[in-house]
Order: sequence, then structure tokens, then C-alpha cells
Amino acid sequence: MQKLTSLERIMKAVRLQEPDVVPTFEIDIDERVIEALKPGASYEDFVEYMDLDAVCYHETRTDSYEVLNKEKRIVRDQWGAIKQYSGVSFGIPMLLEPAIKTKEDLKKYKLPDPARPERFKRIKDAVKRFKGKRAIIATVRPFATMRDSLRGQDDLFKDMIRDPEFVDDLDRLLRDYYSRLVKNLIDAGVDIVLETADIAFTNGPMVALKHQSRFIFPALKEIVDYCHRRKTPCLKHTDGNIWALMDMIVETGFDGIHPIDPVAGMDIGEAKQKYGKKICIMGNVDCGNLLSWGSKEEVRATVKDCIRKAGKGGGYICMSGNSIHGAVSPANYAEMIRAIKEYGKYPLKLA
Amino acid sequence: MFNFNELTDSVADGQVAKATELTKKALAAKVPAKDVLNKGLLPAMNRVGKDFEDGQIFLPELLMAGDAMKASIGLLRPELSRKGAAYTGKCAIGTVEGDLHDIGKNIVILMLEGNGWEVTDLGIDVPPQRFCEEIKKGGYDLLGLSALLTFTMPKMPETIKLLKEAGLREKVKVIVGGVPLSQSFANQIGADAYARDAVEAVVKARELVKK
Repeated sequence: MQKLTSLERIMKAVRLQEPDVVPTFEIDIDERVIEALKPGASYEDFVEYMDLDAVCYHETRTDSYEVLNKEKRIVRDQWGAIKQYSGVSFGIPMLLEPAIKTKEDLKKYKLPDPARPERFKRIKDAVKRFKGKRAIIATVRPFATMRDSLRGQDDLFKDMIRDPEFVDDLDRLLRDYYSRLVKNLIDAGVDIVLETADIAFTNGPMVALKHQSRFIFPALKEIVDYCHRRKTPCLKHTDGNIWALMDMIVETGFDGIHPIDPVAGMDIGEAKQKYGKKICIMGNVDCGNLLSWGSKEEVRATVKDCIRKAGKGGGYICMSGNSIHGAVSPANYAEMIRAIKEYGKYPLKLA
Repeated sequence: MFNFNELTDSVADGQVAKATELTKKALAAKVPAKDVLNKGLLPAMNRVGKDFEDGQIFLPELLMAGDAMKASIGLLRPELSRKGAAYTGKCAIGTVEGDLHDIGKNIVILMLEGNGWEVTDLGIDVPPQRFCEEIKKGGYDLLGLSALLTFTMPKMPETIKLLKEAGLREKVKVIVGGVPLSQSFANQIGADAYARDAVEAVVKARELVKK
């Protein structure tokens, strides 16, 4: 097959077609891994150096923050929540105080500006550099914003039972914000939207299906439908065991599902067999133990196995089972990319 | 005669007001607090733990049940003798340094408290030194270490090493848990037990203090 651009490769996969090679990219790559493999490289330089098929920009990385205590790394995020960053962790802050503690807070609440120009600067730079060549992906996460900034996870989950109308109100508020944000992202030149709020744990969904249907999926459906009206694919990420949610994810219209979490026991062969004709399968290369502490041979064997199980006929993007975090062995990640390019050539020659 | 099943159902269903009312009723009727805990609350927490594990209930239901249990235990506490029949042991627990995940740890705390443990929650992002300082205070039977991120797992052996250096390792059993962990990791770092979820944590914790 004629060599495709990275953008064409990704688009073929999300449209469930067979590209020239199984594509690859990552939702997140820790700077320590970048520095080890390409010292001094920016994220974008690294994507080019490794020939990854997409650049991915996180909603939270472009949010605005007000620093409240520099020494203790305490900030007020753009939603009004007070959070503390760990000195070690992968940019995941701890919520100290949610933005909305009472119904009165909600009445007075003012949404941040989803058109704030600073948010789009990096994406616009990426458009100049990569448009038409590599896929430009932006993430959004309405449910995670509701949980991690607006309300706090314990109160939000309890509200679903004790005051569901309150959660409906929070949901309406966020849908307004996210509909405008997604429009702005696509206007700025984003090729694909990726929704990244986790909605499952290792043992199954975070909340009951009735609560998923009422509080989580309507916002997702709006985003997916809008993206499709703009001819833009929309992908879903969630950690955890999602067998119970797969039908809802597919029915919502998502074009891809990531990461088929191997730590939660998700089997990529089964996912491909049951859903591979309806949705692009993404991920499944274990980044917990394998990419951190496994041998290069084990990494190659796992990549080969993932491609053998999910690559047939296209519709597969080979990625880690979450992200390339700081404990991933840089050599193993490089080996993973080499193996994808070697074993992922179509027509596949894997038994 | 006090209806323990009704209290069990109200706690398992997360009905805070009803659980509070029934607990008050039990105490007014001179039902021993340890019976309320063992025959009313403990079966409730075991039921919700199992239902959560089996995917019959989810985090919202579990948290509501936890609130009902806490409300009831709060009323029983003055009556419960610290080392009485209802007392299983004392545990300090926290998510290791660099890791800010707390859902799993909080579920374990909920289940331990419902099973007669006195729990000190050290929170998240807890440095090894902080775990040691707490154990040094004395009175602890168990130390629980939680991690969700692969790259924070090395803080667990570091904590165990510090406990050894401080002469505290023999004073406390160490149980570890979290998504990326395994039994072999627990063996490798010299922990006393590994639990894959909150229900198993309660079982293993009880086994550890029996030994």
C-alpha cells in the first residue's frame, strides 16, 4: 500500500479501515521519557522524532490558574476550585475545596471563558506545524470537571442519590461550557476530539448505569453529535473495566475507545471481536508493569499480540494502556514504537 | 426486641436518618453497643462490600452506606469500650508520597471501620517519614499503604525500610494495596499482606491481627 501521512493513517483507523501501518500516539508522554530519548526536545519535536501519528493537547494543561501558595503548590483553578499539586505526581492535583459547595454557590456561579485566546495558542502553533500531516487531537472532560473541580467526588457521587436535580443543574451548566469549547477547538483546527473522563474502576463502572445514562452520557452524546456535524471524529478514553458500558459508548456514537485497560482485565481480542466493526479499538499495551519493568522482548511480544488480536482489517490504534508516565522505561517505549512499525505493516503477517 | 435486620438494611441502603434513629432506639432500649455494631452494622458493611465487589452497587451507594454507618458508629462510640469485644484493632493508612488517589483508600477505611477497626487516615501524598512518625506514637496493629501509580510504588519498600531502621517494623503489620500492585510485589518488598480490594483488605487485616 502507498505510504500514508500520519493524519491519513489515524483517520483510516478511526473510520475502521485498514491503513498502511497500525497507527500510534499517546494521550500523555512524561517529560522524563522525552528527555531520556531526545534530550532537549519539546513535546512536538519528540512526536516528530518518534514519528508518532498524532499530537494530543490536554484541556487541563491549557486551563488558567491563580497561584495561591507557590511553596505549597496550591492553586485556584479556572472553575474556582482550590487544589494542591504534588511535587512528584503526574500533574494530578488534590482537591482541597470544590468550586460549588451549596446550591447558592451554583446560582451565583459564572463559567470560565471557553474562548480565552491563551487556551488555543499551542493548538494554533500545532496547526501551523502539523496540519494535514499529523492528527491534532484535543481532549475535553466534562464529567471529570464536575467531579474534580465543581463539586468534589464524594459529594458529587452522593448527590446522585440524595439530590439528583442538583447534579442535573451542574450537568446543564457544563454542557453549555463544553459545547462552546468543542466548537472553538474544531474552529482552531483540531482534527479529532478525545473525551477523557474516567467513568469506570478496575472492577466496573463508577456509578450505576441509570446514573451513567442520566448524569454522564447526555453530555457525551452532545459532544459526539456536534463533532460529527463538523465531520470530526470523537474518541472516548476511560480507565477501568468497561464491559458493562461498551454498548452505551458505542451507541453514543464514539469513533474510538481507549485504552481497553489491561490492568482492569479488559481483553483486546474480545473487544475487537465484539465491537471492532462499530468502534476503533485503541491501546492495551500495559504501562503499569510491562512498559515500566518488563524486558524489551516482553514489550515486543505484547505489541505483536495486540496487533494480532486487534489489527486485522484496520480499526486499531496501538497505544499504551493509559499513558507514557514517568516510570515507563524510555527504552521500552522506544521498543514499543519500533515493534508497532515492524509488526503493524498491512497486510499483517502475524499468525 | 431490637430488630437488627432493620438497622442492617437502613445502613446498607444508605438511609442516614433512619440508621441514626434506629441506633438511638437501640441504645435507649439498653442494647449493648457491641451488639449494635456486630449484629447491625457489620453485616451491613459486609453486604455493601460484597455487592460493590460484585457490581451490584456502585460508588454513590457505597458512600451513602458509609455515611449511614458513620452516623451510627458516632452514636455508639461513647458506649464502645476501646478494647472491648467489638474492637478489632488500630490501623494507620495512607496513600504513599507522590500519589494523590484516595477513592480506593477511602473505601478500605469505610470497610475497616465497619468491621471494628479504629482507623487513622493519614491522607494522600504521605511521605515514608510521616508513616513512621505515626507508628512511633504506638498502639497500632496495622499500617496500610495504598498506591495507584506505578511510579509511586517504590515509596512502599522505602517506608518499610524506614520502619525497620527505626526499630518499628516488628511492632506493626504492613498491608499494601492499589491497582498496579500484586502479591509478588508485596512479597518482594516484605509486606505482610496484599489485598486486591476493600473486602479482601478486611479479611487479610483480621488474619494479620489474629496471628
